[in-house]
Amino acid sequence: MKPRFLTGLLSLLMPAMVLAGEYDLTVDRVKIDTGDFVKEGIGYNGASPGPVMRFKEGENVRINVTNNLDEITSIHWHGLILPFNQDGVPGISFPGIKPGETFTYEFPIQQAGTYWFHSHSGFQEPDGAYGAIVIEPEKREPFRYDREYVVQLTDKHPHSGDRIMRNLKMMPDYYNREQQTVGEFFSDASENGLMNTVRDRMAWGDMRMMKADVEDLQGFTGLINGKGPDQNWTGLFEPGERIRLRFINSSAMTYFDIRIPGLDMTVVQADGNNVQPVSVDEFRIGVAETYDVIVRPKDEQAYTIFAESMGRSGYARATLAPEEGMEAAVPQLREAARLTMADMGGMPGMDHGSMAGMDHGNMDMDSSEDMSGMDHSSMEGMDHSNMDSMDHSNMEGMDHGSMAMGKGGQSDPFYAKGSGLVPTAANGGKFLSYADLKAQDPLYEDREPTREIELRLTGNMERYTWSINGVKYEDADPIRLKYGERVRFKFVNETMMTHPMHLHGMWSILDVGAGQWNPIKHTINVNPGTTVYMETEVDAPGQWAFHCHLSYHAAAGMFRKVIIEGGPDSTQAKTDVIAEDGGEA
Amino acid sequence: MNASKLFVAGMALSMSATAFAAGAHDGGHGHGATSGEPGKASEASRTVTVEMYDNYYEPEEISVKPGETVRFVVENKGNLVHEFSVGTPDMHEAHQEKMMMMVEHGVIQGGKLNHDMMNMDMGNGHSMKHDDPNSVLLEPGQSKEVVWKFSDKGNIEFACNVPGHYQAGMYGEVNFE
Repeated sequence: MKPRFLTGLLSLLMPAMVLAGEYDLTVDRVKIDTGDFVKEGIGYNGASPGPVMRFKEGENVRINVTNNLDEITSIHWHGLILPFNQDGVPGISFPGIKPGETFTYEFPIQQAGTYWFHSHSGFQEPDGAYGAIVIEPEKREPFRYDREYVVQLTDKHPHSGDRIMRNLKMMPDYYNREQQTVGEFFSDASENGLMNTVRDRMAWGDMRMMKADVEDLQGFTGLINGKGPDQNWTGLFEPGERIRLRFINSSAMTYFDIRIPGLDMTVVQADGNNVQPVSVDEFRIGVAETYDVIVRPKDEQAYTIFAESMGRSGYARATLAPEEGMEAAVPQLREAARLTMADMGGMPGMDHGSMAGMDHGNMDMDSSEDMSGMDHSSMEGMDHSNMDSMDHSNMEGMDHGSMAMGKGGQSDPFYAKGSGLVPTAANGGKFLSYADLKAQDPLYEDREPTREIELRLTGNMERYTWSINGVKYEDADPIRLKYGERVRFKFVNETMMTHPMHLHGMWSILDVGAGQWNPIKHTINVNPGTTVYMETEVDAPGQWAFHCHLSYHAAAGMFRKVIIEGGPDSTQAKTDVIAEDGGEA
Repeated sequence: MNASKLFVAGMALSMSATAFAAGAHDGGHGHGATSGEPGKASEASRTVTVEMYDNYYEPEEISVKPGETVRFVVENKGNLVHEFSVGTPDMHEAHQEKMMMMVEHGVIQGGKLNHDMMNMDMGNGHSMKHDDPNSVLLEPGQSKEVVWKFSDKGNIEFACNVPGHYQAGMYGEVNFE
């Protein structure tokens, strides 16, 4: 809180002066040591993650970015409202920064809160090119704290981004260690009945997905502020202090469930915007999201910040402690979540009904004792031809309960009913839902949207193609919006993966059913089998990127260019100025 | 209704009063041992205006003499419902559970209070009225008074126990001169 008084004093002394800050960043090849492995990567000012950039609301910043790589680079200021040609997306905002060149970004800071920055070129971001942004507000915060820490997460993989993409393209389950085994088939069969189990597997086969595909990239080490679990990043505190933790998920692919055993966390910001404070025991942070929480450790002891990946294939860990070297117990990873039939509820091509119509006559399926006698080959001969005539109403009769196997009683309107992904708090307490997020001080007046645009999130896991409305970026027309309109976007997730959708340049007003109190975000998670609405006040001229923030999904084509037509000074996008090298994730 | 009558009514009827009593455990007996008691306006030595914003007070600390009676004029200048409640941190913590219930039952809805719901009989003579003498719960634009006679020195705060607000830092310190 001290800097506020200082700047307050400065502004008294220089009332008429607009603050201006000049900053320098170099983009460098760096060594990244996770404790589990050491690899070459990309960082800023000689390190990954890069520095925490601290700005002040109302200042004009000049940031000189020097590219020391032998390839084109870029920096995108994730979540910042700025002129489109400062947004840092090669092919959309500017041509990119060539090797050896220095590009100077210049824009006014018109907001406050926790954000981050990262390369928008190739796979430089998963390779380490990211850092944090902290913007101090002009006015006082609507909450109080004695000290603050950035807690920036990532999923560091021993392979380079390019190699991961090649492997995923070649074999989409290359990094999926959680594949179900034959043994698991039989144990499921004995628990759930053979018929249910076969029906379940058949359906997943149709989907060209494995049930275990909660995460399609496993084998990473979770890092917090660049430190692996054994390197244990530690933030110090005095008992009784309020600590603001600025969580940022800079992962390429990984959602984390975060808790600090022994401490309540009061969420005060989401994606940099103040929300009405809500106290939780645990929360899930999507890729590219940020959450600011306040904790108040009263005891002279260490506390573990534990961040389990959503698919439970890995974790990040850090510590809050009264002195360096103290540590608390590190919890075990919980059992891996498994997707359920509910998570594929959004798939239009999926034929639940055909299961009922399956001819099981020659498969002795009802006897679960005699599994050895089961003729797997006859399953191939199953008659799918009558799928067209299938009666969807049969789906109602399907016993979802027996498949969902969801743990705990908690429900969350932002997950499909019966979803295997519904999070529950490890201590049985409160798990944050999007439904809990309400704007503290709404930025926009609530008004009727002028139109609705449906975006189906689509993909084919077998070929590792990801798309919007079935069309990948390189084949798609841009989305055209008119300056001054308010567009309602309808995301329909027809895949079984969660997609963090990020619209650049304008706020995403997430519809949580709270009307004027709906929160504004920059990244919106859309869970499997769900439909999520967000509205956007089209108030930023130019052209912008709009994409899934999972690095390999964006690169595979779940990406759009958005063009804003019209504007106050008709700042039309000058497409011809920008190199046509396509959007890069 | 004078303040002490209101206090008795509060103890007897309201659920939040239960918390009020429960919060007294750290003081041995009754609330008076730690935070003070309802005061008489006629005995107030001065008036202190406390403005409530989203989500903080102005001022964030006040100084009192042991035994002093202060008349607080509390104004909600924010856009959300806020509370001004005098007590020890433990009392506030106990009270927060009841306030959580008020949110869960739709009594507190962001910037509005559901007065019908507050007065509804919850059984056993309980209601979700918020009528403890040590606190007021205000909608945006409302203003009310709390007259409080501080006792001895103690760890006393004024706080907003609307869920999340206290945890986010909506409290003020009472310093004894």
